[in-house]
Amino acid sequence: MPNRRVALVSDASHPFGVATAKRLAHDGMTVVLNGPPGPREQAVAALALVLQAEGHDALVTVNDMKDTAAVTSLCDDIVTKYGRIDLHVHTHNRIDRGAVASMPHGLVRDSLHFHAKTAFLCTQVIGQRMAAQGEGCIVYVGSIHGDKPTGSAFSYALAQGALQMLCKEAALELGRSGVRVNLIAMGPVEGDDMRFQSDISDIYLDYQYKVPSATLGTAEDVAEAVAWATSDGARYLNGAIIRLDGGFALHYMDHKMKR
Amino acid sequence: MSLRGKVALVTGAGTGIGRGVSIELARQGALVAINHFDRAEDAHTTLKMVHEANSDGLIVQADVAEPDQVKAMVEQVGERYGRIDILVNNAATQPNLGLMDYDDASYDRVISVNLLGYLNCIQAVVPVMKAQKQGRIVCMSSVHAKRPTDFDAVYAMSKGGIKMLVRESAIELAQYGITVNMIEPGAVQVGRKSGNPRPIVPPDQVTAESRRRGARKFPLGRIGIPSDIGHIVCFLASDEAEFITGAAIRADGGSMLL
Repeated sequence: MPNRRVALVSDASHPFGVATAKRLAHDGMTVVLNGPPGPREQAVAALALVLQAEGHDALVTVNDMKDTAAVTSLCDDIVTKYGRIDLHVHTHNRIDRGAVASMPHGLVRDSLHFHAKTAFLCTQVIGQRMAAQGEGCIVYVGSIHGDKPTGSAFSYALAQGALQMLCKEAALELGRSGVRVNLIAMGPVEGDDMRFQSDISDIYLDYQYKVPSATLGTAEDVAEAVAWATSDGARYLNGAIIRLDGGFALHYMDHKMKR
Repeated sequence: MSLRGKVALVTGAGTGIGRGVSIELARQGALVAINHFDRAEDAHTTLKMVHEANSDGLIVQADVAEPDQVKAMVEQVGERYGRIDILVNNAATQPNLGLMDYDDASYDRVISVNLLGYLNCIQAVVPVMKAQKQGRIVCMSSVHAKRPTDFDAVYAMSKGGIKMLVRESAIELAQYGITVNMIEPGAVQVGRKSGNPRPIVPPDQVTAESRRRGARKFPLGRIGIPSDIGHIVCFLASDEAEFITGAAIRADGGSMLL
């Protein structure tokens, strides 16, 4: 029997979004691939073509999620076409570097908007739709930097901290209507040592070896976790912050690294 | 534990926790700059109480959400006292709107005041503290940086953000001798409407019966009062706390445990 669930991926141009969209499509879901307007639109369209060629149902949307009206319009388009939204996977992820003492106010605000406000608006608008359906799942793909400071990209960490609390609030509020809300706090992936390069924190120095298994995470690990968190098997999972980092964040002063 | 001669800037000091913190700082000998946004009368009452505690202070009006106003406020304190040793980030707004009741404007205001307001004040005092080669920053977080409110979703989001602002600031500013810590108050009696129904039993009215009833929500049998928080600020601002940074002290009468 085909899986008729409809999943929205908020940023299908990010590697986490790409892997998640593929995984959900392969599980038989209809996937709505959203991309922020701009140069990455093409990548989202190309992903849709690939999935469609494999026989999956994929729809492309371009929406910046900048305010309630924008997200409402996106939600309406999906509901008009498919009649429902079952999954929302928030994959907005952008590391804006900057120091607490000097990062301009506007850039901090923009960074908070990109991660936390877009997630908030989607939770309000799509969460309400799911609540009316009496079922649904929201998963935010967040970061371990909702707990661990970066020393290089503080606005990203602020947004991640806010996202954690959004997850908990939404889990309480929407949980009463059959909607589950969870967060995957993703750990280190390839290239994070450059993205989080810091003069004041050595957290990403030899970072691979700080994972007990000495392996980095991948976008496919994110997709796997999303697939599980949104499955019926995870029906009792609500308001959880799932640290998906191989144990990286457990490190206290680098001894005993597995080299 | 003396703060004699230290200069403190307390935001949102016209009422509630900010007033309680100002009074306790004054009792320890600190000079207190009392910030308020639109509560001039309350700020004057706080100043009067600072004077009664045998210290000095001044009132500095500013909307902490506006970087230019914050900068001007910090300059005003500098002109009066020549230094700032302690920043207490406390000004916050809590509209008590549910997750579905917020709109774009109310969301933006809560984030701008509660989270970006703290950042504005940190950015404004860092050059002063850097020049002094020391400083103490204490941020008012909340038990709602960990536990949801169920009555004000964006307030909790702002507190979640503050948790990370404190941790990031702590590791970045340590090199200048500046410590950054947070306090997580639970319910505190502040004389204004709150969305959370709770047993209000002031400490001087705690009885065996009220303790028994209150203990179902507060193991210590009462709600918090502003001076409970003020005492912790004084400790974190003191020389004795010089090895503490990026830390959170929860002050909730044990309520988070239930």
